[in-house]
Amino acid sequence: MVDLALKTLLHDRLRFVITVSGVAFAVTLVFVQAGLFAGILGNASVTIRNLDADLWVTPKNTANVDFANSFPESYLNRVRSVPGVARADNLIVYFMFMTLPSGARETVEVYAMEDFRRWGFPWRVLEGDLDDLKRGPYAFMDDSAVRRFGPFAVGDYREVQSTRLRIVGRTSDALSFTTTPLMFMDYGLAQRMNADLLQGRTSYTVVRLAPGSDLEAVRREIRRRLPYNDVHSRAEWVAHSERYWIDSTGIGLNMVLTVFLGILVGVVVVTQTLYTSTMEHLREYGTVKAIGGGNADIYRIIGKQALIAAVLGYAIGAVMAWGTGRLVAQAGLRMELSTTMLAVVFAGAVLLCLAAALVSFHKVARIDPAMVFRV
Amino acid sequence: MNVLEAVDIHKTFQEGRERVEVLRGISLAVGRGEVVALEGRSGSGKTTFLSIAGCILSPSGGRFAIAGQAVDPANPAGLAAVRRRAIGFVFQQFNLFPALTACENVEFALNVKGRRDRSARREAEAMLDAVGLADRRDFLPRDLSGGQKQRVAIARALAGGPPLILADEPTANLDSQVGEQILGLFRSLAKRDDRGLLIVTHDPKVRAIADRVVRIEDGCIVNGG
Ligand SMILES: Nc1ncnc2c1ncn2[C@@H]1O[C@H](COP(=O)(O)OP(=O)(O)OP(=O)(O)O)[C@@H](O)[C@H]1O
Ligand SMILES: [Mg+2]
Repeated sequence: MVDLALKTLLHDRLRFVITVSGVAFAVTLVFVQAGLFAGILGNASVTIRNLDADLWVTPKNTANVDFANSFPESYLNRVRSVPGVARADNLIVYFMFMTLPSGARETVEVYAMEDFRRWGFPWRVLEGDLDDLKRGPYAFMDDSAVRRFGPFAVGDYREVQSTRLRIVGRTSDALSFTTTPLMFMDYGLAQRMNADLLQGRTSYTVVRLAPGSDLEAVRREIRRRLPYNDVHSRAEWVAHSERYWIDSTGIGLNMVLTVFLGILVGVVVVTQTLYTSTMEHLREYGTVKAIGGGNADIYRIIGKQALIAAVLGYAIGAVMAWGTGRLVAQAGLRMELSTTMLAVVFAGAVLLCLAAALVSFHKVARIDPAMVFRV
Repeated sequence: MNVLEAVDIHKTFQEGRERVEVLRGISLAVGRGEVVALEGRSGSGKTTFLSIAGCILSPSGGRFAIAGQAVDPANPAGLAAVRRRAIGFVFQQFNLFPALTACENVEFALNVKGRRDRSARREAEAMLDAVGLADRRDFLPRDLSGGQKQRVAIARALAGGPPLILADEPTANLDSQVGEQILGLFRSLAKRDDRGLLIVTHDPKVRAIADRVVRIEDGCIVNGG
């Protein structure tokens, strides 16, 4: 069979390139925007997602994981004794001041626990032994701190809240939405360094359920025992922390707007090129009708051209987005492309290209085949 | 049996307030293996009649049959089916698909007519051989001369074996010597397969190859109908 759709596309090479570029551009823009959004937003919840807890007991009305108030650490016992709780521990999240070797003052976000290992946290250790944290004024620092604090190495000392801390390990991927670098230290050490506010107090109690226990039942019981705290499931706490940043920074609207503009530009380019192509081939489509073809035959030709543009543009756009992701990674920005996003954008590209073809369908339906006799 | 049988065909165009009666009762028959030339001044309604006979335009009145079957102008799907089955067109402008090679142009027409298998390719090649373009099969239309383009168009019109071939000024865009060759080829191929051929023309050369010459004046046939 002769593939008129493809041959005509390849025949009008320049227009084909423009159409595919239009789709590719839109797809890249959507991927980069949505990917950056997901990446940045992911930073707001990456610690929650990676700490191996089913429930988080938080101070009442805590906005997000970074900005916690504190509550008495002894509440832990009330949580531990709830049936269905396999393990519960306190977790301090606290901003502290660090004095850099240059003399500059910076902020670090400290995560402090008694036994990190039990919670699979931090989840990516590059260097050092987590057990060392119990042995003195030691800390792990995340590699992302290099951007703010300059290079550091295991064995270096840093001054935090006027305590000389030895860096005994490095992690990676531990980030916060605020871009404040993360540090990990012993629970007791964190309390001693901020005795006025943290003595006998914790930011969170994290809870792991016993196998087979009912999350809702456990949560209800903890709530009953701790009426002045909130209890979130992991997923809720992720959503809650992310929502805070979406609402307070407007990055959600920013992303939606850019994605919308990207889609708009793509749709306009594709509609426009398909339509001019249809107009230029009107006589040919009239000929198709004259030799016995129906509107459906012509729709199939134009639809197929739209589909080819969509698939090719999508593929190129995805590759360009991937390249952009690599590029921005060097600038410390994370771009996250999930399979869901890949699938949704693919479906979107195909649907929108077909929608763009509809405008041409409308024109084709009105072709008077008698035009083939006109000179 | 006649491949085209038109009886008392009328056609009126409504142009704003004005009604133009272009055809006023044309009756014309083309038999199998017959070559008929349709002449007339410019604007006399030749193309209009050809469009009606080709099931592309609906008449305002009259009735006609193609290959023995009455045509119902009110049924567009039926008209397309008649075009696929029974009619081959040759146009003054050639109307080839610029993105398709000579052979693909013929094969594509067969595809539209419902032949989607490999036999379409073989028949397209055979038709191109018959019009003397065996060595130009893979040329794009832009690389063919006017006469060669019209040969491809003739091959396309004959492919699939429609009993009726309609040609509108097939030689108007060709120089006179090439036009003569094309007409000779046209006639011999039509005769070979016993098809009816209706050629609309100004070109006096057509008279030489026609079995019969019909003349339209003021929307009526004045001789030979
Ligand atoms: N779609 C239309 N609407 C209105 N009038 C039309 C239409 N098509 C043709 N006509 C009129 O019908 C008349 C006959 O036109 P037609 O094209 O059939 O002439 P023709 O004999 O083929 O002329 P030529 O030799 O110049 O090709 C002309 O006056 C033309 O203006
Ligand atoms: Mg004419």
